[in-house]
Amino acid sequence: MKDDKTISMAAAEKHGSVLVIGGGISGIQSALDLANSGFKVYVLEEKPAIGGVMSQLDKTFPTNDCSMCIMSPKLVDVGRHPNIELITFSELKDITGKVGNFKVKILKKPRYVDGEKCTGCGVCIENCPVLFQPQIPEKPKEPSQVRDQVYIDELISKYSYYEAPLIQIMLEVNKKYRYLPRDVLEYLSFKLDTALSTIYRVATFYKTFSLEPLGKYHIKICLGTACHVRGARNIVDKVKDAIDAAEEGLFSLETVNCLGACALGPIMMVNEEVHGHMTVDKVDEIITSLEGIK
Amino acid sequence: MKKLSNPKELEKLRKTIQNRRDPNKPVVTICGGTGCQASGCEHIIETFKKEIIKQSLQEKIDVRITGCHGFCEKGPLVVIYPSKIFYPMVKSKDVSRIISETVVNNKVIEELLYVDPSSGERITYEDDIPFYKKQTRTIFGSNGKIDPKNIEDYIAISGYSALEKVLPSMKPQDVIDEVKKSGLRGRGGGGFRTGQKWESCSKAKGKQKYIICNADEGDPGAYMDRSILEGNSHSVIEGMILGAFAIDSNHGYIYVRAEYPLAVKHFSIALNQARKLGLLGKNILNSGFDFDIKIYQGGGAFVCGESSALIQSIEGNVGEPRAKHIHATERGLWDCPTVINNVETWANIPLIINKGAKWYASIGTEKSKGTKIFSLVGKINNTGLVEVPMGMTIKEIVFDIGGGIPNDKEFKAIQTGGPSGGCIPRSLMDMPIDFDELKRAGSMMGSGGMIVMDEDTCMVDVARYFMEFNLDESCGKCSSCREGNARMLEILEDICVGKGNENSIPLLEELSEYIKETSLCGLGKTAPNPVLTTLKYFKDEYLSHIQKKECPAKVCKPLIFYEINSEDCTGCGMCAKKCPVNAITGEKKKPHTIDKDICTKCGTCIATCKFNAIQVKTGEKK
Ligand SMILES: Cc1cc2nc3c(=O)[nH]c(=O)nc-3n(C[C@H](O)[C@H](O)[C@H](O)COP(=O)(O)O)c2cc1C
Ligand code: FES
Repeated sequence: MKDDKTISMAAAEKHGSVLVIGGGISGIQSALDLANSGFKVYVLEEKPAIGGVMSQLDKTFPTNDCSMCIMSPKLVDVGRHPNIELITFSELKDITGKVGNFKVKILKKPRYVDGEKCTGCGVCIENCPVLFQPQIPEKPKEPSQVRDQVYIDELISKYSYYEAPLIQIMLEVNKKYRYLPRDVLEYLSFKLDTALSTIYRVATFYKTFSLEPLGKYHIKICLGTACHVRGARNIVDKVKDAIDAAEEGLFSLETVNCLGACALGPIMMVNEEVHGHMTVDKVDEIITSLEGIK
Repeated sequence: MKKLSNPKELEKLRKTIQNRRDPNKPVVTICGGTGCQASGCEHIIETFKKEIIKQSLQEKIDVRITGCHGFCEKGPLVVIYPSKIFYPMVKSKDVSRIISETVVNNKVIEELLYVDPSSGERITYEDDIPFYKKQTRTIFGSNGKIDPKNIEDYIAISGYSALEKVLPSMKPQDVIDEVKKSGLRGRGGGGFRTGQKWESCSKAKGKQKYIICNADEGDPGAYMDRSILEGNSHSVIEGMILGAFAIDSNHGYIYVRAEYPLAVKHFSIALNQARKLGLLGKNILNSGFDFDIKIYQGGGAFVCGESSALIQSIEGNVGEPRAKHIHATERGLWDCPTVINNVETWANIPLIINKGAKWYASIGTEKSKGTKIFSLVGKINNTGLVEVPMGMTIKEIVFDIGGGIPNDKEFKAIQTGGPSGGCIPRSLMDMPIDFDELKRAGSMMGSGGMIVMDEDTCMVDVARYFMEFNLDESCGKCSSCREGNARMLEILEDICVGKGNENSIPLLEELSEYIKETSLCGLGKTAPNPVLTTLKYFKDEYLSHIQKKECPAKVCKPLIFYEINSEDCTGCGMCAKKCPVNAITGEKKKPHTIDKDICTKCGTCIATCKFNAIQVKTGEKK
């Protein structure tokens, strides 16, 4: 709005009411500030209750204060303020008009509760048969198809003497296929009786794992401190250019933090081969020497 | 190899090996460490083997592929025993001469010798090279002498003799006392006293106890753990067996980064050999004590080097640290008492047992004992791994061992402690290095990375770099570390592109305080250190970026521009040809000019120009 200087505020017919969209902590605070300075405020919230993300947090950054301690007085204030009207479980559909005089269209979703009569005692929630039904996680099912089943079974038995073999098996799978294929993960989930979501959590936490196939040539460039001070950033830029010019699927690029050959920095690895003392010129040399590069 | 059934048989085996070996038989040792591999040592090894067969000398000469010697800068390294003649940067064309002249006839080939850059003299023997001469290589010295894939080599240099000494005659408490008396402090970063750690674990109750070797070495710029594992795995295994004996544990783990395949390979070979000899497994040397080690590979996450995250990872979870109100020594792996030590710490144990706590405590400073391996990297002449007694000054390490800064540049700072450490300026060059001095200067020991920076390194950029690193590696559990680091990085990035303002520095300081105070694990607690130390020692550089919009080191691209010096430019046109964005124009044989609006400052022209005519400037464009 600030930029739109063409609209003269004075010319527009102003109304004394404001719509705050979103009933999170910032919406609540704005509503309170506005209401206290004399505006009529409508707070629109998509969820059935205001509070937003902050109400779900334990502590707040950076002071580590308890979030609810900051928030609950404000929730009560908003609920009670004579100048504030809450419109919850509703969505904004349309805005028309100009600064100072907007018209909004709001969709109020059905709530199966008569708002006029409800006191918010909460007894219905406690007795709701659906909400409090225990949810037992499903046992992983055997996938219908998996590649190289014999190999995977061998891997599983090879690492069976580990108390927690999952990561070790995933490392081998990742090395063999150069990524983690979904069918193998599903099979592992079944065999190791571990939820697929847990496996995915591990797969996305550790940097070694890839969920997409790597290029024929996987290039790793070290951006560790020793390599950084010797100008590794320029090597990355150069390699990016070279990759852009090449065919799809031929290259993939990863930057890593230290490959443990710091004395020879900057370091670049093409698949398993380590190249030390990299320079911008050497990138061209190495890339053109690879098989299948024009 | 036969299984040894008591310590005496081990002693006998050592004698047999030593007697079998002729000390005068020439041995060509070639470094096969990762550094030398990157310089092409595999090809040199092949050539040596072929050449020896060609000259029919298989019977007369031994070839030994060793682990890292430390002088990685000059690889591939070849040392000829018993004379110890040293050839750096060996090329395959020289191999046949080295064999026929030096190995067979003991003649030194002058032009292949190492040239000392400071005096210009040629140096014949390994021990006389300044880089090695000033070091005290108690742990690392054996690397150059043994083949890591051959347990006999390690036994021959009195390997496993500490075990031989402990099993029949010492009690677990004696071992703990010896380690306590030695004053050994953990080499993984924190500098916690190893003896005390073992003692509290030995006193803790649990149905099972675990020993873990932390080989996750995530500090960028440090690679000593890797070199020990690749070059001398047995010393770590021996240390772990002794530790297990001391705290009465039967299960060991070593957690190695997946990025270190060679280390994993050598370590598993070493484990198998030790098992075959009965040095690992059930009833070790008939002492009734069982112990074995499993290798566990990590998946590439820096935070997994932190002990509680590492334990999470071995348990098969994502590596998120937990609060440390209960120590791992009481409830660690699978909730059992656990001792975690760094690779280098373990490698120190056999030495302490063999030579005694008194000897060990005589090296180093009052509160930091023994030697420490540093990886001397960055802008320095002799990059590599150096092992020095604690308490050596920065100046000695950088100038006497490291040979100073290349290209006559000015030494500006060293960075220690990795992303948790800080930058120590030139003015503190006479500071002795040990755990406490480094802490006092605002940095820390970390795992021993020592990155040297010269006048061309921008300290704001360094701070920004580490912030990026920490943000990237933060596991995301604490909001102060996850969000706070991101905000600090934003401010630093703004400063680097000339958008800093007078609030930037106070804001950085304030955020640093909060992040340090409110993070759970060591990563967050120390993440602001690089920023705080650079602010403390190099505030003027921050101020130049903020007030004058200048980058004194000429690194931050938005604050610099390129210009051609018309006096030096001969108009050869090479730069114009190479420029990827065609920013350089000019007539042939006449000085060229750079269009500063098009120039992307990629550096290609600087690398191309033979006349040093292209200058990097900072500040207002004219
Ligand atoms: C973020 C972070 C990363 C760490 N990384 C490593 C590492 O790579 N290697 C290591 O040995 N210790 C690392 N440590 C230290 C370990 O937590 C632990 O203190 C150490 O392994 C204990 O061994 P020590 O007593 O032998 O030093 C790290 C600590 C933190 C907080
Ligand atoms: S910093 Fe690049 S290899 Fe270590």
